[in-house]
Amino acid sequence: MNVQIILAGIGGQGILFSSKVFSELGLKMGLDVMGSETHGMSQRGGSVIAHLKLGKFQSPLIRKGAADILYSFEENETYRTLHFLKSGGICFVNLESADQFNKSIMKFLKEKEITFRAYDATGAASKIGSIRSANIALIGYSAGTGLVPFKYEDLRSVLELVSRKKNLKINLKVLNAGFQEGKLLKT
Amino acid sequence: MRKTGQEEVRVLLGNVAIARGIVEAGCHVVTSYPGTPSSEIVPAVVEFKNELGLDTYIEWSANEKVAFDNALAASLTGKRAAVAMKQVGLNVASDSLMSSAYTGVIGGLVIISCDDPGPHSSQTEQDSRFFAMFAKVPAYDPSTPQEAKEMVKEAFELSETFEIPVLLRPTIRVSHAKQSVRLSPLKVLDRPANFEKNPERWAATPKYRLVLHKRLNETLQKIRERFENDTKWNYETGKSRGASLGIITCSVSFVSLMDILEELNLKSAINVLKIGTPYPLPQKRIADFIKRQKRVLIIEETDSVIESQIIDKSKVLGRLTGHIPLEGELDPDGIHNILADVLRELGITNLEKITDSKLDKLVEKLKLQVRKPTLCAGCPERAAFFAIKKALPKAIYASDIGCYTLGLNLKAVDTVLDMGAGITLASGFYQAYHQDKKDIAIVATMGDSTFYHSGTASLLNAVYNNARFILVILDNEITAMTGMQPTPGIGITADGSEGRKIPIKELIKGCGVKWIKTIDPYDIKKLVKLLKEARTYTQRKDGGIAVIIARHPCIIRYPEVCEDNPVKVEITDDCDGCNYCIDYFECPALYINEEKNLVEIDRMFCVDCGVCIDACPKGAIIPIEKQNKARL
Ligand code: SF4
Ligand code: SF4
Repeated sequence: MNVQIILAGIGGQGILFSSKVFSELGLKMGLDVMGSETHGMSQRGGSVIAHLKLGKFQSPLIRKGAADILYSFEENETYRTLHFLKSGGICFVNLESADQFNKSIMKFLKEKEITFRAYDATGAASKIGSIRSANIALIGYSAGTGLVPFKYEDLRSVLELVSRKKNLKINLKVLNAGFQEGKLLKT
Repeated sequence: MRKTGQEEVRVLLGNVAIARGIVEAGCHVVTSYPGTPSSEIVPAVVEFKNELGLDTYIEWSANEKVAFDNALAASLTGKRAAVAMKQVGLNVASDSLMSSAYTGVIGGLVIISCDDPGPHSSQTEQDSRFFAMFAKVPAYDPSTPQEAKEMVKEAFELSETFEIPVLLRPTIRVSHAKQSVRLSPLKVLDRPANFEKNPERWAATPKYRLVLHKRLNETLQKIRERFENDTKWNYETGKSRGASLGIITCSVSFVSLMDILEELNLKSAINVLKIGTPYPLPQKRIADFIKRQKRVLIIEETDSVIESQIIDKSKVLGRLTGHIPLEGELDPDGIHNILADVLRELGITNLEKITDSKLDKLVEKLKLQVRKPTLCAGCPERAAFFAIKKALPKAIYASDIGCYTLGLNLKAVDTVLDMGAGITLASGFYQAYHQDKKDIAIVATMGDSTFYHSGTASLLNAVYNNARFILVILDNEITAMTGMQPTPGIGITADGSEGRKIPIKELIKGCGVKWIKTIDPYDIKKLVKLLKEARTYTQRKDGGIAVIIARHPCIIRYPEVCEDNPVKVEITDDCDGCNYCIDYFECPALYINEEKNLVEIDRMFCVDCGVCIDACPKGAIIPIEKQNKARL
C-alpha cells in the first residue's frame, strides 16, 4: 500500500505531533515511512505543513495533485494546501460545518471527485477539556468514517506510544470521541 | 519502532539520524551552537547517550567558532569529535575551518553544516559545499536521513585515514525529512586523550604553512581518487544506451528526480548519475558519464558546486546556462518543470508543465492573507517591543537574530544582519550621526543567547569608543527560536547537568557599561518610563550606553509562569473596533470579528498573560476579576 498524507494548520495546532502519530502508524502497518516537516521560524504562528508518505517512496515531499488524504486543522490552511490532493482524494477539515466552506471551491472539489468532510474537532476536543487535542479528534473522526485505511486500535496503541504521560488519558478520550462521531456519519 | 530479527527500524528525523550516525561511529565529543535546520542534532545525541548509557561529552557552545575549536581539540587528542551548526554558523567558524584544513586532525573530525535553500529560517541561501571547496576539505552530501547516517560514519573513517576535517552537508529537506531508518550497532572506541606535541604542525608558522598547503593538496588528490572508485555514494541508475539525456544530481534533488522519473515512466529515457561526494569531485567518473550522453543536465541545490568544477562543459546544461533557477529551493514540481523545459528544448518529448490550475485561481480570489510568523501569544518580547515603540517612536531600531526578529511586525525592528549586529550596527549608527553632531535615539535589541554568542566584543567596542545608545536585552532565559536550548545564563549544560551560571548583568558590567537596569517587560508602563530614563542617560554629559535587561521567561518553554498566575482578560463594550491592538500589539490571540467589527479573544491561543490590558488605548481590555468586582 502507498499512502500520501498532508497535514496542514498553523503553529501550535500540533501538526508535528500528528506527523509523529502517522509515522508510528506507518511502521505499525509494516510500511516504510518518508516525510518532511516544518521546524523553526515558521512554527511561530505561521502556516505549518507536514508531508507523510507511507509505502515505497524515495523523496520526502509530496507533489501537487498527488496526496491521497489531507488533514487540515484550520479552514484557510485548507485552501492553501488543497492543491496537493489528487482527484478522488479525501479531505478532512476542522470546521463546524461544510456550509462555511467556500462554495466555488466546494464545487471544484466535486468535479474532482474529492470527498470532503467537515468536523468540528475543536468543539469536540474542548468539550472534553483539551482544546489543543483537536488534531487527535480529527484523526479519530477520519478513522470512524471508514474512508481511510487506518484502524482505531492501531491509532490507540500509537497514541499510547507517543503521547506525553500527562496527556495520554485525554488524548485517548478525544480520539474515541472523534471516532464515534465519524462512525455515526458512516451509518 | 519496529524490530525484525536483529535489525531495528525507527522513524527518525534527518537530524536524529545524523545523531545516530555520530553515536554509531563511536564519537566521543559533540559540540554545537543551535540554529535551524541543525538544532535537533545535539538533543538527539543526548537522548541516545541516555538511552544507551554512553559517556559522550556533549556541549552547547557559546558560538560556532567556539564549538569548532572545542571539537578540534578533542580530535587532536585522538578522540572522535563532531561539530554541528547551520550554514551561516559556518561563517562564524570559518576562521578555524580554514586553518585546520592545513594543520589537519588526528581523531576523526566531522563538521555538519545544514543548508537552508528557500531560505526557510536563515538570512542567506549559501551553499556549504562551496565552503568545503574554499577551505579544501572533503564534503559528503546526503539525499535521505538513512544515507546521512551512513555518510557520517564514513566521514569519520575518511577523516582519520587522511587526517583531515570532513564536512557533511545536509539540506533542510534532509535534516527535517523523516524516514524509517535501519539502526546499526555502535562502535566502541577506547581513546584515552593523548595530545602528542608537535609545534611545527599545530603551531605552524607561515613558512611551514606552505608545506602544509602542499601536503593538503596531495591529500585532496588521494581523496579524489578514492571518490572516483566509490560506488556507494556516487552511482548511476539505469545505463540505457539509447538514453537521450543524462542528469547529474545530488542531495534531495536526486530522490525527487527519481520519484518523478518513475511516475512519468522516463527511467529508460534518462540516465542519472548521483554524486554524494561533491568535493573533491570525482572528475573522471563525471567525464566518463558525460562522454556517454548526448547532453547532460546538472540539477543541484543550492548553488553550482558540481557544475562549476566540471572541466569540459560543452555538453552541459545547468545553472550556468540558465536552465536552473539561480535562487530558491528546488521542489519536486520545480524539478518537473525544469525537466519539461529541457526535454522540449532538446526536442526529446513534450512533457506537460505543472502550472497554476483552476483551483489555484479560485484560491487566489479568496485573497488569503499570508500568515506571517508572529511572536507567540504571551511572548514577553512583544511586550518589550510595544513599550520600545511607545517610549521612543522615532528611534532607529537595530535588532538581531532570534524569535525577536519578529518584532518586525510591531515595526520595532529596522535592521537584522547577523548574530551580534544589533549592538554593532547601533554603535555604527551612533558614530555616523554623531560625526554630524546629531543626537538621535537608537535602540538595539538582542536576545540573551545571542548576547552570549557574540554580544560582548560588540558591546565593549561600543563602550570603549564612546558610543551612546540604549541596548535592551530580551532575556527570556532560553534559546527559544531554535527549540529551547539552555544558555550560559541559566547554567544548565546540553545534557542537563549543571554548569557554571554566568549572569548576563555581570558580563555587561564587565564590558564597562555603567547604567544597567533589570525589569519585567510584562509591566509595559514601567518599561516605557525606564526607556525614557535610559534615553536621558544617553544624552547626559557624563552618560553613555544604557542597558535594560528585560527579563521574563519564554512562554513556550515555561508555560507554568502564566498558568500559575493567570490574568484572564475580557473585552468590554468600550472596544470600538479601532484595531490599534491588532496593528500595534498583534497578539495572535486577538482577532477582529468582522461582522461586529470588534476585537475578540481566541481562547485557543490566549495564555492569560494579561499584557494586552496596557495595549488598548481605550481601556477596553480588562481583567475579568476586576469587572466582576465592579459589577458587585
Ligand atoms: S517561543 Fe518564546 S520567545 Fe519565542 S516568540 Fe514564543 S514566547 Fe516569544
Ligand atoms: S491575555 Fe491578551 S496579550 Fe495575553 S495572550 Fe491573551 S489576548 Fe494575548
